[in-house]
Amino acid sequence: MILGQVRQPRRVQAYDEELGAAVARAQEGDEAAFAVAYRFVQPGLLGYLHGIVGDDAEDVASDAWLDIARDLGRFKGDGAGFRGWTATIARHRALDHLRRQRVRPRSGGTEQDVLHLAGPHSTHEQALESLSTERALELVRGLPRDQAEAVLLRVVVGLDGPAAARVLGKRPGAVRTAAHRGLKRLARQLGISSETEKGVTDGASRTLGEST
Amino acid sequence: MGERLSGDGGPSRRRVQAGTVSGASEAADVTALETVLAAVLRTGDVDPRAEQRAVAAFRDAGATGARRARTRRRDDWRPAAERRAGRTVRMTFGAVFASVALGGVAVAAIGSAGSSTGGAGAGPRTGQPSAVAPARPGGTAPSAPSAGSRPTDRPPSAKDTQAHCRAYEQVRSRGKALDATAWQRLVTAAGGKDKVAAYCSEQLTRATATPGRRTGQGKPGESAGAAGHGTSGGTGTSGNSSGNSSGGTGDSAGKGRSGGGGAGGKH
Repeated sequence: MILGQVRQPRRVQAYDEELGAAVARAQEGDEAAFAVAYRFVQPGLLGYLHGIVGDDAEDVASDAWLDIARDLGRFKGDGAGFRGWTATIARHRALDHLRRQRVRPRSGGTEQDVLHLAGPHSTHEQALESLSTERALELVRGLPRDQAEAVLLRVVVGLDGPAAARVLGKRPGAVRTAAHRGLKRLARQLGISSETEKGVTDGASRTLGEST
Repeated sequence: MGERLSGDGGPSRRRVQAGTVSGASEAADVTALETVLAAVLRTGDVDPRAEQRAVAAFRDAGATGARRARTRRRDDWRPAAERRAGRTVRMTFGAVFASVALGGVAVAAIGSAGSSTGGAGAGPRTGQPSAVAPARPGGTAPSAPSAGSRPTDRPPSAKDTQAHCRAYEQVRSRGKALDATAWQRLVTAAGGKDKVAAYCSEQLTRATATPGRRTGQGKPGESAGAAGHGTSGGTGTSGNSSGNSSGGTGDSAGKGRSGGGGAGGKH
């Protein structure tokens, strides 16, 4: 109910329009259209999964796509909705995977190493320019889980606030805050933040992340 | 929950005004960071075998008829207004059906006099849901937040565009393309993928030519804040969401949000 009130009419992006059309055709049984939808969604989904389950992302994504293929007929919505729906399925698969592995999701912890890894960059542009996929992933995985997920869903999957909140089963405000804190922390670690307020309320957010 | 949020919103909005100058550059940094993160973390090369497996699963699902399954609540990702409309249609249909059925019973039981009472009873019932539903999406709640609450919804400010352009220049030089919300916004602003480079160079030259950033910056923040005030009267939640993110998406995002966050953490 609360979610329903906060959700706003989306601005349909050109990309999402194409995706939505492909999904609609796939729901009619068009295989090629399903492949198109796959190619639209998979990069963001994999990026998100890499951030949660690391090297197992491909396997988890494969599992998720089995569910997606099976349940596609149930889905209702546009392109943006499809990204949210698929992210939810992928997330459930990822959580199952983590549970099976009995590996606690990484949180916090590595910040110290990460901090001194951040080389001295004379400009912000340099810091960003030299950012590799591995390093970005390492930094994101070093964040508390709730922040990492919020950042990944917003930035990598490209969900809007309400959609990301629905995927995570949280209030939009909480997700927005988590995403923002995560980004600020990343900026700090990359040395592109002008401020040095260390870990505003990281302790609080960590417990939040573990409670999920 | 609503009260807590609005408690957070107040201080953050005030801080926004205090920290406009350093907040602006910080927000630009965060925007650039988002853009680069999206480019770097989205896995570009999709494994064709994985795609084939997914398509095969899709084919199997079609063959077994699994695709005609019912939509559960969690499968319904239509925008809220549309979902309500769908529900209203169902409710109206149900009401009409019920009234027809009851009317028939009444006709059968009481004769011609009964049918008129049945008809009168049905009138307001069918009328109600359809009268309520359009009023809600048309009201302040969904329309006002769309102006300020969602980062991707607002028209890209000059500052954002510049940040995106800088990020674009950075990843382009490494042969990568941006492929995320920020990138789409940039494409939309430029009017096409192939026009981005030209558009960016124009934007960046303009940015260096006119250092009058602050005047441009003040406006979106304020208007978003106003939207937040306006809606908070209507529904608590949506009002808060727009109030909060006006601190977040505006130029002075950094300070505003961290202020709100700090307060939230102590609870």
